[in-house]
Amino acid sequence: MPTFAALPAAILLLMVLAVVAPWAVGRFGRATMALFALAPAAVTAWLTTMIPAVARGEVMTSRIEWIPSLDLTLQFRLDVLSLVMGLVISGIGTAVLVYSVRYFPIGDDGLPKYSGSILAFAAAMLILVFADNLILLVVGWELTGILSYLLIAHRVRRQPSRRAASQSLMVTSFGGLALLIGSILLGLTSGTFTLSGILADPPSGTAAAVAVGLMLVGGISKSAILPFHFWLPGAMAAPTPASAYLHAATMVKAGIYLFARLSPAFAALGFFRPALIVLGGVTMIVAGVVALRQRDLKLLLAYGTVSQLGLLTLLIGGGTTETLLAATAMLIAHALFKAALFFVVGIISNVANTRDLTELSGLGRRMPGVTLLAWVAALSMAGLPPFIGFVAKEAGYAGLLAGDDLGRWAAVAMTIGSAMTVAYTARFLWGAFATKARPRSVLAQPVSAWMFVPTLVLVVISVILGVAPGPLDALLAAGAAPSGALAAWHGAGLPLLLSGIALAAGVGAFGLQRVLERRRGAVVEPTTGSGAAYRALARGVEALADRVTEGTQRPSLPVSLGAILVVFLLFPGGVLLRSQLTPGSSVLAANRFQPVLVIVVIGLAIAVLRARGALAAVLLVGGIGYGIAVLYVGRGAPDLALTQILMETVTLVIALLVIMRIPARAWTRTATGAARVARAVLAVGVGALMTVFALVIPGQRRAAPVADQFAQPVAETGGHNIVNVILVDLRGWDTFGEISVLAAAAVGVSSLIFLRNPNAVRGSAVLPPAVDNPSSWLATDSVSRPSLLVEVATRLIFPLIVMFSLYILFAGHDAPGGGFAGGLIAGIALALRYLAGGRHELAEAAPVDAGVVMGAGLLLASVVAAGSLIGGHAALTAAVWTADLGPLGSITFGSSTVFDIGVYLVVTGVVLEVLRSFGAELDRQAAADGRPARDSNEMAAR
Amino acid sequence: MTVDLSLAVAIGVLFSIGVYLMLSRNMIRILLGYLVVGHGTNLLLLEAGAWGQAPILGEGSPSTWADPLPQAFVLTSIVITLAVAAFMLAMVYRGFLHTRDADVAEASADEVHIDDGGEE
Amino acid sequence: MNALLPLVVITPLAGAALALAMRGSSRATRLIAVTTLAVQLAIEVAMLARIDSGGVMVVHLGGHQAPLGITLVADRFASVLQLISTVVTLAVLIYAIAQQRRDARPDGSSAAFYPAMLVMSAGVTDAFVAGDLFNLFVSFEILLTASYVLLTLGGTAERIRAGTPYLVVSLLSSVLFLAGIALVYAATGTVNLADLAEKIGDLSPGTAGLLQALLLVAFGIKAAVWPMSAWLPESYPSAPAPVTAVFAGLLTKVGIYAIVRVQTLLAGGHERFTVVLMAAALATMLVGILGAIADGDIKRMLSFTLVSHIGYMLFGVALGSQVALAATAFYIVHHILVQTALFLAAGLIEYLRGTTKLAQLGGLARAAPLLAVLFFVPAMNLAGVPPLSGFLGKVGLFEAGLSQGGTWPVMLVVGGAVTSLLTLYAIVRVWGRAFWRPTPLTGTAIAAARGGDDSAVSPMQAERVVVLDAADHVLPGAPTVQPPSRIRAHVLPAKLPRGMLAATVAIVLAGVMLTVAGGPIYGLLDRAAGDIANPDVYVSAVLGRP
Repeated sequence: MPTFAALPAAILLLMVLAVVAPWAVGRFGRATMALFALAPAAVTAWLTTMIPAVARGEVMTSRIEWIPSLDLTLQFRLDVLSLVMGLVISGIGTAVLVYSVRYFPIGDDGLPKYSGSILAFAAAMLILVFADNLILLVVGWELTGILSYLLIAHRVRRQPSRRAASQSLMVTSFGGLALLIGSILLGLTSGTFTLSGILADPPSGTAAAVAVGLMLVGGISKSAILPFHFWLPGAMAAPTPASAYLHAATMVKAGIYLFARLSPAFAALGFFRPALIVLGGVTMIVAGVVALRQRDLKLLLAYGTVSQLGLLTLLIGGGTTETLLAATAMLIAHALFKAALFFVVGIISNVANTRDLTELSGLGRRMPGVTLLAWVAALSMAGLPPFIGFVAKEAGYAGLLAGDDLGRWAAVAMTIGSAMTVAYTARFLWGAFATKARPRSVLAQPVSAWMFVPTLVLVVISVILGVAPGPLDALLAAGAAPSGALAAWHGAGLPLLLSGIALAAGVGAFGLQRVLERRRGAVVEPTTGSGAAYRALARGVEALADRVTEGTQRPSLPVSLGAILVVFLLFPGGVLLRSQLTPGSSVLAANRFQPVLVIVVIGLAIAVLRARGALAAVLLVGGIGYGIAVLYVGRGAPDLALTQILMETVTLVIALLVIMRIPARAWTRTATGAARVARAVLAVGVGALMTVFALVIPGQRRAAPVADQFAQPVAETGGHNIVNVILVDLRGWDTFGEISVLAAAAVGVSSLIFLRNPNAVRGSAVLPPAVDNPSSWLATDSVSRPSLLVEVATRLIFPLIVMFSLYILFAGHDAPGGGFAGGLIAGIALALRYLAGGRHELAEAAPVDAGVVMGAGLLLASVVAAGSLIGGHAALTAAVWTADLGPLGSITFGSSTVFDIGVYLVVTGVVLEVLRSFGAELDRQAAADGRPARDSNEMAAR
Repeated sequence: MTVDLSLAVAIGVLFSIGVYLMLSRNMIRILLGYLVVGHGTNLLLLEAGAWGQAPILGEGSPSTWADPLPQAFVLTSIVITLAVAAFMLAMVYRGFLHTRDADVAEASADEVHIDDGGEE
Repeated sequence: MNALLPLVVITPLAGAALALAMRGSSRATRLIAVTTLAVQLAIEVAMLARIDSGGVMVVHLGGHQAPLGITLVADRFASVLQLISTVVTLAVLIYAIAQQRRDARPDGSSAAFYPAMLVMSAGVTDAFVAGDLFNLFVSFEILLTASYVLLTLGGTAERIRAGTPYLVVSLLSSVLFLAGIALVYAATGTVNLADLAEKIGDLSPGTAGLLQALLLVAFGIKAAVWPMSAWLPESYPSAPAPVTAVFAGLLTKVGIYAIVRVQTLLAGGHERFTVVLMAAALATMLVGILGAIADGDIKRMLSFTLVSHIGYMLFGVALGSQVALAATAFYIVHHILVQTALFLAAGLIEYLRGTTKLAQLGGLARAAPLLAVLFFVPAMNLAGVPPLSGFLGKVGLFEAGLSQGGTWPVMLVVGGAVTSLLTLYAIVRVWGRAFWRPTPLTGTAIAAARGGDDSAVSPMQAERVVVLDAADHVLPGAPTVQPPSRIRAHVLPAKLPRGMLAATVAIVLAGVMLTVAGGPIYGLLDRAAGDIANPDVYVSAVLGRP
């Protein structure tokens, strides 16, 4: 006998086939679906072999670890309820696939998606019903929702299909999230996520109650109980076999299944039974009434389904084992007759090309076979003997009447609902098959056996179970002595009376409806309240989204920055206020020159605000830089001073190169008065806050700074200039990153400047020519020749400066200087050549691609960094050699010096690249465009 | 640790003016603002360490030296500022070629992305 | 073995150096770039294996014991993120190469692209292993500078416009970060994270909180936490598709990573600012997702979901428990993969249709079934549909939140649920329009579809669509405006380059693997969370105490 452990394999098989099917069906056509039907058929057969064991009351489980950290395990459990659901899923799945072979026209391009989705759905549904782990159950639950979405939107090019699909998805996903949160809460409160474990020992308390409540919300949304019922009629946009499968037989039963699972453990909760009975009862009656007014046979069945789901909910609300058993039986009955009836509708719409019961006429005579099947299924739906529908309904009445007052009220509601059921059943039969006062419908095509046989099978099962419900009764009793609740004939009793009343009332209601309809004429499609509510909600969300986004997402840079600064003022500023920190000891200034410098710097800064033109502003900012450089000297930071001055010079040169080419009007005040006030307030606030920070925080220091321990490691490197040693050794890693920043930026500059035709849709930066072709420039260049003197002078000075830059590079280790300073000096030398002689002078001065220089430098640094690794030391560990330079004395030459050379190269290369871009290339472009090129002398003069 | 009042004031002023400029729509102002704020940040870094004589081994002692670590930080920050400034200048120039002024272009009417509503 | 740690940063920088030196030949640079990243990836795999078994990996650069020099620290968390980042970068690189090969449009074909990509990879990697606040700053500068270059590649008006807010906002965040470092040093005299974790304890709570707040603001900007997130949807979408993809995947996560470090190392044991972070997380989720619903362009819509889902990670960080941190770590990994996948798919859409504006898209499911799958799977993953990784991360966060209890955590769980529902809504909207509905014919058709008048549709849109669909239907009375220069009137490609598809498939599958191999992966991240939840692991590893 096959074991239950095969279930995961079965599910996996279905999923794999779901991936294969779209390809196969697309390739070989609709007939292939018959082959794929073998998979669910096999599952059905396999599950059937389980029946005896389960009927004996055995329970089987299988368990595979998945994500222990999340308490998510592939735990499956086979018991009566899950077996029944499993059989329905696999059995009807088989029927649906067979039926689909002819239902769809040849070459329906939605078929690949359809076939895959159906198989995947079967897998997901099996996960849902067999899952013994709360989270796993949610997994199956949500998957069915997505697949339903894909199936409803079969005709994807029709907007109504798409809308119905997304609507059903949103509604069920809402429920799904409620279910998820509820499940997690339940799992946490009961200390396990194993469903059977929780039900065996249900937790109590508010948390548990809330959890169960949330799970019920999930259930009613999935099972289309009021107020969430509206998505189900919409879902009828799906192909009829899909509707039969998902929206009648299986998926919409997920909620019912959940209720049935939870009720033994939680029916005691105060709200559990009333909620189910009230919602179920109302749904059953209301949906029944609405069904009675439908013209579209399929919609009629859809509302009928909603009504029946209400009945099932109500029965579970009964809360006794009898009602639960009746509900299970009714679930089977409904699956059988409703699927069969959907199949019939599918046949009708195929052969008569309409489902409108006012247009159909005389089909009864034309297709007696189908008519017979329809009658049998319909009578089972109406709850007439000798069909399973009757058996289940009688058991339901009996169960409810045996219960408390709540149960008896439920019985009343059920009677009314059943009356409506009888009524719309009558309307269905009349509408589909009666010969009406209009020309008989013509059959476009004969009824295919592929569609007839599956229907027949379902109907036959309904009859067998109706005539001989004994085995089913035994199965559902699961080991316990068969209750006999399910019997073909209960004899005369209150239940039978209620059935009789319902029958009479139902027939009456049908007649009445006919009369009213003749009066009123054609019924208008009923617009359900909550459906409209959903659409209103959706519109509301969209409107809200637009408003919020317009409010928060201004495409304005100052606003974005402002928001950030406000956060900065409020959050750290607020924390500062609450901390009530106060400044520690302080002096006016580190030295007596500093106040003067500070005043100068502040003066220059204010002058920047007042500057008339960009040029002036740039020069003023440069001034600030020089001022601060001097300030650095006073604070014992000669390296800073040196680097700052060089850096400021280079910045100034390249800034001027660009500003020169931009007309003065590019420096305009754009902000309005109000905006400027806001800016000023923010700016002053930030500045003030920074001052306070500067005054308060340093006073908080308790520990000695790490810098106090530097003397020792610096001595080891053989260097004397601590700052430089920090840069190339202690924190050489920062420098390593920093030069890559420089290189990246330089590359970015050239990529933006070496572009032609900015108005092109997309430009691409081309490589800078390694060297301008010397022969061609004389002809094109419009740069006026600089005075001979300047040229000669620079040519003479150039080598000297380069020598000096090298000296600074090597001196750096002991005295102020180093790779940065050296590189910048070399760069300035190049700038001089350019300023004196234009781009060709520059090309002559440095006849290499700057990329090579930068690359070489960066590579050198990398090698030093990695090299020390090969030696087994940590990266950047200094190795020191001493080189004797004879008369010049000896210099210690460490690997850190090599590293510094790399820095030197990168910096030089960067300056070169930038000069090539802002200087040479822009000159060339200007020349090419015939714009007057910047006059180099005038430039040099500034 | 003792703080240096005049420096703290300078920091505040540089931040105020720099931020004010950065809040402009004009790319050149923003760039200059960034440079000014950069100076402010560097001074703040210095304020975070003691001042004294240049930290050269053999001249003075840790107690008399200015704290060298903030100096190293400032050096790094200066270099990064140069790199970014150069890149911004390139953007200024590019933007100028496109819009013929140095203002930050903003999404124009036909680029407002609010969606076309309606169907799913 | 520890030598691997610095190498993982040195390798891409050396590669960048080579690419720079050889930028004359684009074939050479391509080769260099791919090889470099492959090597880096190999190193990171080795590292992860080593670290998961042997514990935290620490290197004191230059042999200077912490806190004297710079220390590189790689625990499981850092190591996993490195690995994922490089996987993504490599895939994107291949995608970009394929695009340039087949493409008349030379996005990123400039000499700048490859060096910049490698430098950025180095920056990202260094950011994950920096054991030193100032070095973290430097690594941010490395990846930012590279990102400026990548974002403005080609220098079109649109990219300069979009690049500006990104650049300026990043500058501001860098300035604030540096100021924060200055104050940290002022108060503690150190910038080594482990040393800091100890010394910050000696400070008054007020001071410690202040320093923490300063850093949170600086990192919050990088992570695009509302209200400091407006820059992101303005800048990301206009970059070349591969660039947007890699940015969306990695850069914001570096910010989140930094926030995690601050909250775990510098919070000094007791959780500070939990409520602030949760409030920010909630706002970020909701404002972000509403933006996504409001937007009519796929790339921008995705940028908004990017912001929105940062909220989930922030939520996890705020909770701070090991369960929460594990979920956060998992969500970060998930989000890196899924956002990259979606932007790559969006890039494919743009490649086929020349636009990602919903008003002009349609019929893609029919025209490009494979592309449809490549979009649908990560899209559903983003919406947290089970059993995909988005769902798993969500479950983890919800479990953490609900087990913690309390008003804020529960509010955040509800907010998270609403967000994922709205995400699904936004996704379904895009799916229905771009993939299922028939291709809109002309501006007039669009106007009809929205029940509005033609004036609602700019002639550009109308003309654009006519250009796109000229093959399918020639319309009488279609507007005959001269095509504006922004419209490429060349015939759009019918087939997608194999390389672009392969890269996208790879990332999508990687995302699916998070589900298939969910057990081991989540287990690993659970251990990773164990490390970060208990700062002593980190501190004693760095300061060399048993």
